[in-house]
Amino acid sequence: MSVMEHASHGAGHGSGTPSHQRGILMRPGFVRAAWCFALFFLIGLYLVAGIRWIAGWDPVYDWNIIVIVGGLTLAPIGFLLGLGSFDYWLYWISGRPTMLDDHANHGAKTWKDYFKVNTDHKVIGVQYLVTTFVFFTIGGLMAMIFRAELAQPGMQYMDTQTYNGLVSMHAALMIFVFIIPAFAGLANFAVPLMLGAPDMAFPRLNALSFWFLPIAGTMFLASFLAPGGAFATGWTSYAPLASEQPIGQVFFNMGVQWAGASSILTALNFLVTIITMRAPGMTFWRMPLLVWANFTTSLLVVTATPFIAGSQFFVMFDRVMHTSFFVPAEGGYVLGYQHIFWFYSHPAVYIMILPGFGIVSEIISVMSRKPIFGYRLMAISLLGILVLGFSVWAHHMFVAGMADWLRVPIMISTLLIAVPTGVKVFSWLATLWEGRIQLNTPMLFALGFISMFVIGGLSGIYLSSVPITIHASDSYFIVAHIHYVLFGGSVLTIFAGIYYWFPKMTGRMYSERLGKLHFWLTFVSFNLTFFPMHWVGLVGMPRRVADYSDRFADLNLFVTISAFALGASVIIFFYNMIVSWSRGPIADPNPWRALTLEWQVSSPPPIFNFDEIPQVVGGPYEYGVPGARHAILTGGGAKQESHA
Amino acid sequence: MIGIGIVVGILVTLVAVLIPWLPTSASREMDRIELVYWFATVMCIVIFALVMAVLIYSVLTFRARPDDESDGPPIHGNSTLEIAWTVVPAILVLAIGVVSAVVLSQNSSAGPNPLNVKVFAQQFAWRFVYPDDGGVKSGVLVLPLGRSARFQLQSVDVIHSFWIPDMGQKQDAVPGIDTSIVVTPTRIGVFSLVCAELCGIGHSTMRAQVRVVSQEDFAAWLKERKGGGGEAEPGAAIFASAGCSGCHAFTPAGSNGAIGPRLDDIAVAAGKVGKDPAEYVREAIVDPAKVIAPGFQNGVMPSTFGKTLSAAEIDALAAYLTGSK
Amino acid sequence: MSAHAEAVAHGGEHHGPPPANQSSRIAPTVLGMFLFIGTEAMLFGSFFAMYFFVRVVNPDASAIWPPPPFAFPKFVAGINTVILVTSSFTMHWALQSVKRNNRRGLQAGLVLTILMGLAFLLTQFIEYAHVGFNTADGAFASVFFGLTGLHGAHVLIGLLLLTFAAVRAFRGHYSPEHHHGVELPGIYWHFVDVMWIVVYVTIYLL
Ligand code: HEA
Ligand code: HEA
Ligand code: HEC
Ligand code: CUA
Ligand SMILES: [Cu+2]
Repeated sequence: MSVMEHASHGAGHGSGTPSHQRGILMRPGFVRAAWCFALFFLIGLYLVAGIRWIAGWDPVYDWNIIVIVGGLTLAPIGFLLGLGSFDYWLYWISGRPTMLDDHANHGAKTWKDYFKVNTDHKVIGVQYLVTTFVFFTIGGLMAMIFRAELAQPGMQYMDTQTYNGLVSMHAALMIFVFIIPAFAGLANFAVPLMLGAPDMAFPRLNALSFWFLPIAGTMFLASFLAPGGAFATGWTSYAPLASEQPIGQVFFNMGVQWAGASSILTALNFLVTIITMRAPGMTFWRMPLLVWANFTTSLLVVTATPFIAGSQFFVMFDRVMHTSFFVPAEGGYVLGYQHIFWFYSHPAVYIMILPGFGIVSEIISVMSRKPIFGYRLMAISLLGILVLGFSVWAHHMFVAGMADWLRVPIMISTLLIAVPTGVKVFSWLATLWEGRIQLNTPMLFALGFISMFVIGGLSGIYLSSVPITIHASDSYFIVAHIHYVLFGGSVLTIFAGIYYWFPKMTGRMYSERLGKLHFWLTFVSFNLTFFPMHWVGLVGMPRRVADYSDRFADLNLFVTISAFALGASVIIFFYNMIVSWSRGPIADPNPWRALTLEWQVSSPPPIFNFDEIPQVVGGPYEYGVPGARHAILTGGGAKQESHA
Repeated sequence: MIGIGIVVGILVTLVAVLIPWLPTSASREMDRIELVYWFATVMCIVIFALVMAVLIYSVLTFRARPDDESDGPPIHGNSTLEIAWTVVPAILVLAIGVVSAVVLSQNSSAGPNPLNVKVFAQQFAWRFVYPDDGGVKSGVLVLPLGRSARFQLQSVDVIHSFWIPDMGQKQDAVPGIDTSIVVTPTRIGVFSLVCAELCGIGHSTMRAQVRVVSQEDFAAWLKERKGGGGEAEPGAAIFASAGCSGCHAFTPAGSNGAIGPRLDDIAVAAGKVGKDPAEYVREAIVDPAKVIAPGFQNGVMPSTFGKTLSAAEIDALAAYLTGSK
Repeated sequence: MSAHAEAVAHGGEHHGPPPANQSSRIAPTVLGMFLFIGTEAMLFGSFFAMYFFVRVVNPDASAIWPPPPFAFPKFVAGINTVILVTSSFTMHWALQSVKRNNRRGLQAGLVLTILMGLAFLLTQFIEYAHVGFNTADGAFASVFFGLTGLHGAHVLIGLLLLTFAAVRAFRGHYSPEHHHGVELPGIYWHFVDVMWIVVYVTIYLL
């Protein structure tokens, strides 16, 4: 809801009251968050117990429900309340005058400001990236642990339930709290700048959707403490297995809800920002492809994500309310889960790659000093993928026992997705052609992405051919495909994007030497780790197995060793980032000589991005076009000299 | 650039042919799958070689010198090219689509007189029933050479997946839905059936033995089965049919499952806990969780036998396993 | 939700961000609300999909729906439909009033709408109590409680939003020029209303 009559402070980003007036317990922050967390859990507990007691149900203390309502729903809300996410709105709701804003919550002066509810899209962007990489590390370390278990057949370090738990956790962390939000983070930083906007459309909502993330991730991890161990049904958590698992499963069901809510709200924010806050002259056909990519991705998120929410609700209801959505004996329909789940989760894989396409398009064009080849077709192909993406969900169910007549149509639509994707790949190549290629770290990762993603995409083509999938499905071939598209695809683009915008985010330059080292180590060990998986899969090793027949032993040992190397390569990245951030050389405001708007302001950009909203006069990639300009800036541009 | 393309192409082709990517086919269906597989592979090699050639060539030729601040030529696009690389891939993938669709329909048809086999999947064991032959039950899947078998899959608990890697075909067994799949063995030998859908703690060990035998041997095997199991005693028949042999090695039964403990010297195990062997076995069957054999995991052995088997049958099993007549 | 966007859109004239360029005729908050409603619709979509699977796709779904002896209280729910539809009109009235600067009308309209919303929820609660089956009585019950429950939850959210608007209305906020705070809950309320009609037709009549 909006407050026209408060337009003057509407501009505020503050939580309303200046915080210093209140005592430590009442001041927004982690202390208040802590006791609100506890308080809200108790409220939930007694709410449930109270209702059950009145209704005369037995047992009064049904922990299945109490955990969900108190622990996984209300307590996090309490935490957010304590943190101060809602203060401004509470004031507004109660009709009290919202305090004149002192911009306390905008921009970051000290590192402490990164641990507050901050409404500056640039700060939020960094918050996103740091948080998601924490989860990436944890998820990756899980992979290291279960890879160690897989180093030889038989069980060495854990029982099968624990193994399944680790695999499921690995994937849940990687997908829901690493890849998807990491892209949201990069976009959060870059998109408003690229549009010539001072911030996102709804800064407070933006802050809120960020804080959902640590909650979701922590919720996943907390399931390790649950009796019976972590959720162990894979990241797909198929019913009916999921509804009869130990209580740890609901931590997944609810965690997904939080992560989903986060990405929905962010996507909504992006869409409104892109539609209503473009700088004058910034027509849709002048938007950088990164913006285009996030526009399409956001459309996907907004339309598809509610479906996974639904699917997880059903599983949870079957558990706690004894419904029978997936209980055949009671008239339930088991495959319903998979249809609804994949109706989100296939589009989700494009949610996990389209922003990457955007990042790579930026880098390829800038680093080869040429306009992106076929700009319009690049944008249109994104929309093509968006549309087709909704028509292929059932390719995950070719062997699931769904209606046979569905197979061939779905196969065709799946295959057709290769066409718009191919358009992008070929256009990138054509952009390289006759360019002045600068082979620096971002470019290396971008090129590495192209080659690896093509392999992953082509294995996808195998999988979309039904007869082949019938053999390859649920085998390690899938695992290979997953990692070629998600690691060789998404993760490489994330690395590329981070190196590319690092100078803009921090105002300092990273070490090229370490960057290149990081790339080559990752590139080689990645292939050594995941390429052999195609083979073990095709010759008969199913996925999600803690133990396997001895004939796969040697190769799995090899894979495990290379996996450790891959892990180690990540250490270099972290070292480079941390050291460069604290004492790297001061970066030029526009080290890549790029045209897009974010590079025309100082590094890091001024608190409200532009002192004057720039006037856009041309396309974003007019390299080599004599006298061409993308935008005319005042103010923000001036800062450049003073800073550099 | 052509050169690079050819080099990459050759390298990838070597990778494709030198490594035995697929298991040596053991079924007619697998032969057809291999056909599609190679069809797709050829296409993918070409595409990959093309992409890599352009990429590597550009990086080598168009790399800017460190001091070079100039820009490339402002090429914004080229309609003919763009149309070409939209249309050509479309044609290629549609080709794959057609081939796949044809093979799919062939692989799904069971021919005139298929051998019907009912497959019952449960956490974490497979059981097989031959309805056309007086409902012979078995814990091992025995198939005649060269005759199409149509499997009707049912699951009593969660989703499992029926996969014999050497024979290619795969199909989920879904509670509440009857699914089916066709396999035509073309090679005599012993293969393994694995469960390919995560179904709980026992998933990784949910396997069963598949024996492909000549038509005659198969007929003989059926006959022997029909005659009350043929073995000297009822326990043996039950041991084979209830699925025990799938997990347990037991010399008299000639079974060598490795998921559960070897049952030859069950008396010893019983002695350890000071129980009468027969009693011990009865317990282990009805309530496996009670005593967990050393080195094995609780919850893997189905706890449902107490219900699915009659008291008499369990006694028979006990007698059989303890070797007491 | 978006005081900022509003200000930006219409130029907060003080220290702070420069006014963003308003590149579209639609107000950010309104667009945001429509997008939000879009996702909400998809959430309902997933529940309808489950309903479809259980009743239509499912090979062994019972021919008669709901399977005897159970029955859905068409009539009571019908009354509820009437209540909710009427509440949409009172909501509209409230909005018109604030536009015509008639504060009484605004307040009365909001209060009436809220009361009818509460009445709806109460009726539904009683219906649950007397419907004769509970969540554990089979898939038909699952989808019944699933869809009606989901909708009930949305009525609750709608009521919250309306309450906020009402509180502010009584505290003298809103004016003919500035009343997004009434308009947005209004839009949401109409959505909840329309959604109910779909749910009613699917669950009770089909
Ligand atoms: C970033 C994530 C991502 C991306 C982008 C993709 C992209 C694709 N995926 Fe993938 N997929 C996953 C993530 C992803 N996938 C995951 C996580 C799973 C496993 C889920 C689970 O756990 O079960 C999965 C599983 C999966 C399956 C199910 C397998 C099974 O479980 O049985 C299938 C089947 O069709 C499939 C197909 C495809 C196809 C056709 C594409 C296409 O979009 C690829 C298109 C790209 C190219 C084709 C390459 C570039 C194109 C050219 C160079 C043009 C010329 C090419 C031709 C003419 C062929 N994927
Ligand atoms: C973006 C997604 C993503 C990413 C990045 C990864 C990264 C990795 N994955 Fe993951 N994986 C999935 C998504 C992803 N995975 C999914 C969706 C599945 C399917 C799950 C399911 O079946 O439900 C899966 C499943 C999966 C399997 C199959 C498990 C099974 O089916 O039984 C395996 C097996 O090897 C595996 C391995 C790895 C490895 C070795 C890495 C490595 O790249 C990790 C490298 C990173 C680190 C190691 C952390 C950072 C490093 C340090 C902090 C340095 C210190 C550490 C050391 C030196 C050891 N993954
Ligand atoms: C899915 C695999 C599986 C099947 C099928 C199975 N078992 Fe087991 N069985 C196990 C495992 C694993 C153990 C060890 C764990 C335990 O003791 O519960 C075991 C233990 C036993 C033991 C105790 C052995 C000891 O040394 O303590 C006996 C006896 C036994 N099984 C008999 C049977 C019989 C009889 C059947 C068939 C009716 C059968 N099992 C079917 C997996 C299986
Ligand atoms: Cu049965 Cu996996
Ligand atoms: Cu998919």
